[in-house]
Amino acid sequence: MQSLSPSTLLVLVPLLPLVGAILTLLLGRLLGSRAHLPAIVGIAAAAGAALTLLVSTAGLVGSPHGGHAEPVRPVEMISTLWQWATVADAYTPAAGSPAAIPGTVIGGPTAGGTEARAFSIPVTLRLDPLTATMLTIITFVGLLVAIYSVGYMHDDPGYPRFFALVSMFVFSMALLVAASNFLIVYVFWEAVGACSYLLIGFWFRKPEAARAAKKAFLVNRIGDFGLAIATFLLWMTYGTLDFHDTLSADGTILPGILGQTRLADAAGIVGGTVGTAICLLLLLAACGKSAQLPLHVWLPDAMEGPTPASALIHAATMVTAGIYLIARSAPLFVACPEALTAVSIVGATTALVAALIATVQNDLKRVLAYSTISQLGYMFASLGTGTMLGFTAAIFHLVTHAFFKALLFLGAGSVMHSMGGVIDMRRFGGLRRIMPITAATFLVGSLALAGVAPFAGFFSKDEILATLHSKGWPSAHAEHHDAAPAAAGHASLEGHGQTVASLASSMAANSQTGRPTARPAALQSAGVTADGGGTLDRPGTWQILFWMALVTAGLTAFYTFRAVFMTFTGPTRVPDEAGHHAHESPPMMTLPLVILAVPSALIGWWLFSTNWLAHFLSATPSFTAPSVAKTAVPHVFHMDLAIQGSLAAAIGIVIAAIGHLGRRSDAPQMERFLGPLQTIFANKFYFDQIYAALVVRPLEALAMLAALIDRYLIDGTVNLVARIPVFFGGWARQLQSGLLQRYALAGVLGTLLIVLALASRLR
Amino acid sequence: MNPALPELSPGMLLAGAVTAAAASLWLLLPRGSESRAASRLGLLLGALALAGFIATGRRLGGIGEEAVFLIVSLVAVVSGAATIVTRSPVYSAIWFALALFGVAGVLLVLGAQFLGVATVVVYAGAILVMFLFVLMLAQPAGLASYDRVSSEPLLSAVAGAVLLGLLTLSIGRLSAEPAACCAVPARSAMLASDAATAADSGATPAAPAAAGAVVADILAADHVARLGGELFGRHLLAVEVAGVLLLVSLIGAIAVVTRGEAALEADRRESLGRAVR
Amino acid sequence: MSPSCMLSIPLMSVMPVMPVMAATSMALLQNALIVGAILFALGLIGILTRRNLIVMFLSAELMLQGISVSLVAWSRHHGDWGGQVLVIFVLTVAACEAAVALVFVLQAFARTGRLDAAAWQSLRESNIARSVDHELPASDAVAQVWPQLSPAGILPEADADETLEREHV
Repeated sequence: MQSLSPSTLLVLVPLLPLVGAILTLLLGRLLGSRAHLPAIVGIAAAAGAALTLLVSTAGLVGSPHGGHAEPVRPVEMISTLWQWATVADAYTPAAGSPAAIPGTVIGGPTAGGTEARAFSIPVTLRLDPLTATMLTIITFVGLLVAIYSVGYMHDDPGYPRFFALVSMFVFSMALLVAASNFLIVYVFWEAVGACSYLLIGFWFRKPEAARAAKKAFLVNRIGDFGLAIATFLLWMTYGTLDFHDTLSADGTILPGILGQTRLADAAGIVGGTVGTAICLLLLLAACGKSAQLPLHVWLPDAMEGPTPASALIHAATMVTAGIYLIARSAPLFVACPEALTAVSIVGATTALVAALIATVQNDLKRVLAYSTISQLGYMFASLGTGTMLGFTAAIFHLVTHAFFKALLFLGAGSVMHSMGGVIDMRRFGGLRRIMPITAATFLVGSLALAGVAPFAGFFSKDEILATLHSKGWPSAHAEHHDAAPAAAGHASLEGHGQTVASLASSMAANSQTGRPTARPAALQSAGVTADGGGTLDRPGTWQILFWMALVTAGLTAFYTFRAVFMTFTGPTRVPDEAGHHAHESPPMMTLPLVILAVPSALIGWWLFSTNWLAHFLSATPSFTAPSVAKTAVPHVFHMDLAIQGSLAAAIGIVIAAIGHLGRRSDAPQMERFLGPLQTIFANKFYFDQIYAALVVRPLEALAMLAALIDRYLIDGTVNLVARIPVFFGGWARQLQSGLLQRYALAGVLGTLLIVLALASRLR
Repeated sequence: MNPALPELSPGMLLAGAVTAAAASLWLLLPRGSESRAASRLGLLLGALALAGFIATGRRLGGIGEEAVFLIVSLVAVVSGAATIVTRSPVYSAIWFALALFGVAGVLLVLGAQFLGVATVVVYAGAILVMFLFVLMLAQPAGLASYDRVSSEPLLSAVAGAVLLGLLTLSIGRLSAEPAACCAVPARSAMLASDAATAADSGATPAAPAAAGAVVADILAADHVARLGGELFGRHLLAVEVAGVLLLVSLIGAIAVVTRGEAALEADRRESLGRAVR
Repeated sequence: MSPSCMLSIPLMSVMPVMPVMAATSMALLQNALIVGAILFALGLIGILTRRNLIVMFLSAELMLQGISVSLVAWSRHHGDWGGQVLVIFVLTVAACEAAVALVFVLQAFARTGRLDAAAWQSLRESNIARSVDHELPASDAVAQVWPQLSPAGILPEADADETLEREHV
């Protein structure tokens, strides 16, 4: 591996799964039951390359224990493969527009003047901490899911197709997070959507699966539409679509949207109406892909796909593309406080609503689907705070969630596999006796999801709660952080440092503001939000959002353990469909469960205690923007928030235990407990019905109207025009009698006419 | 000229004859309804038309020649008319044979002995027999409905009358304009002398004398030999082509018959299958 | 026509035949041409009116005879062999035509059972009614007595066109 340069590795990460996919498609029939080999080898090699990249990037960033005073330099590597399209002189920025950044940065003249510039789409891969993290998660989870699928899909007629699609998805997703251009991102945004569509509809002969795939595709279109418009607006505003700065041949620098040249300039990022519009459109895109509130309806239906695909795409990776997009565009969002607040409100509301719906679902995969929506809402809420801690906490939760939710889904798949395709929890009971490994690993995943210390979810969720809390009660946090160094780690988990994040260094990079480095960032953060002036962006809002998140934490614990209790405890019940399948799944399936259980249990503790991830991510160029970097706070453990979160989780688990532990799982506990609310939750807040009434029916009516107009008005006009020659032609048709002697007579008479005419002229 | 109609000019007489001929044919042609009075009127009009044509005809050199020409041309024309007005196709064919004899007579009078004989031999002897064979194969018993009606008899008769009027008018103008009739023999004399260069050995073709000479050539005693020489000398290539044409038509006819039998068989089977279904 | 063309010119009859004079030649030509024209017109009318395919061909041959007479007349008038040679070719082509055309007639007859030129009027435009011969008097129809058989089974449905075409077969 050492002989390979990082740029080569960066190309290999998407390339190897692509080769695997193509080989699987070409040789699928030939390989038969070994059709998984190209895909698994490809993804495994990609995972190795991604891990190498992660390590090498981490080496560039440096250890969080190193010198605190050193500024966190942005770490990025750009590798341009080829130019996709170039249109010369496509854009001439007006003077003073954000596309025309004047001045000098990084010791060179910039090409940000008002001269015409080309519309060029370089196919460029980037490597920075955020990308490296995402790549590692994608390839690692993808590898485990692929291995698991060998057992899960073993007798499916579409076996090669499944592995080709998974491989193709890994390729698309890797390029989505590695692309360095909004247009390329858009392309692979669509590509992962297409893979998702194909995998949801994998059993396309089943009508429900085909319809679910169609629904997912259509709902995602709305989000994709947002991304497309956002891309147009970005081009109109910035005159480029690149993330990175481009060094042209004449030595000038063309600043990219998220390039260091622009980020170093306070006026580089557009706020105001245009900026907010861009951010809200990006949020719309993220809502579509990450199944957030207005557009979340597709994800529960997407469970029609094979369970491994659900684990990979609809839990661990693809649905986090929205998180990635907003995190990547962090500087744009930070410049628009209203948009940021909208992100948080959407996220927290989604988290609460999805958790409420999940409490009454009886289908194990549906519970997990709504749980995924809810957890993604958590991440959105965290992103919306607009602070360094918020961004890193969202990615942190993304990482831990990827592990434990993939684990839970694969566990559910294992249950489904041995229960003969039945997934209704009311028909299960006491399965821990039948499938102990699945039960144990599922319990680990559930503990992580419920946020029980010291499992992974606890730490990431705690960070998100802390982020929201710091926005809701800014003064309290300021005091807290001021006091923290003096109080010598009474709240820290490890002695060597509550303040690991490099506030000082990032402030030093901010040459324009030149603020004193010692000044607490949280205050500035509060200040920024205060003069952001948005009516929503005030502590009261954030307090509400915090409480929503806390309630969600309790609900999460409740529905998770309700599922655990219903499925794995109580008297042993096995549905009839299981037949002889009712035993533990084969090792090929339990091995990934065990492997995933380890990070689900431990990674939170490790990442939090060392603060490795937060430090690593803070070197991402987007997060080194002064507007983001200045909000960095020292790394502390908030004991009070941890207690609140744990308490909520404990209450949830206890209620679940009271309701379901040791009872028959088909006992109608929830109905009795919730009463009429249960109807609302079970009907998913009537979202589908509302959409049908508000969107589908009017569109159908419109389509009907258009069809009528088309059929009668337009077709009628055209037919009328067409009838005119038919009418006149009808006369001429009378001549065609089919009697050949009439034709002969007509010929003779015509000849005589001509002869007569000629004779009269000759005379 | 008919003494009863002294004021009639030949042009008007000819027009009347043409009109009477057309009316006669219209009356005589099968029109479904068989009316004896109509056919009598038609015959009368036909006789009048013939008389008109004879009256406008020009005198020939001798009374014998005139009589011969009159008889053979009457046979040809009357038989021709009978050919097209007779209901039964078999009778039509026989009338046509008679018309051929009349035509052969006209050709003999015109001095084309070989053609006169050839017409009788080839047409009456071969082609017409072929027609009769086909009729025997294809003719249904009795008079078919389509033999008892005509298609557009009036318009067709009018068209024929107009055509005949135009032709007779222009034929009459041949002598009316001497310049035209004198120029043509001169040109044809040159062509003829060109054809028979060896025989005439450089005689300068002065117009009337040369015309007499070449006509004498046409009417020479070794008429058939000269025609053969002409045919196999100057028109040898055309003869070869005509031979090829005969061969091709022979092969074509056989091909159509054999292929057609197969197609008919398939057609019959298909319609049978349709009926069964 | 000029008066010289009238019938009352007597001098023609006294002129010798063998050394043919221009006037006599012209008279012979005109008479023969008139005969040819009449034959041609008769053939034309026959072809236009008669429905029987064979009679139509006979009419065509009649037209050819008219042409032959005209050609030979001109040949005689100009003293040119060309006209007669051409008639020989006309004979040849007529023989070819008769052979091929009669084959087609036989094929057509085998298909429709009639020699009617109007039997092929399915080539007409679809919006035109089928042409039917209305004015046929019943008296002329052959009173055919068909054998009366009890049907041996279900017969195929009769086509309206077919019964019309098979009237006398």
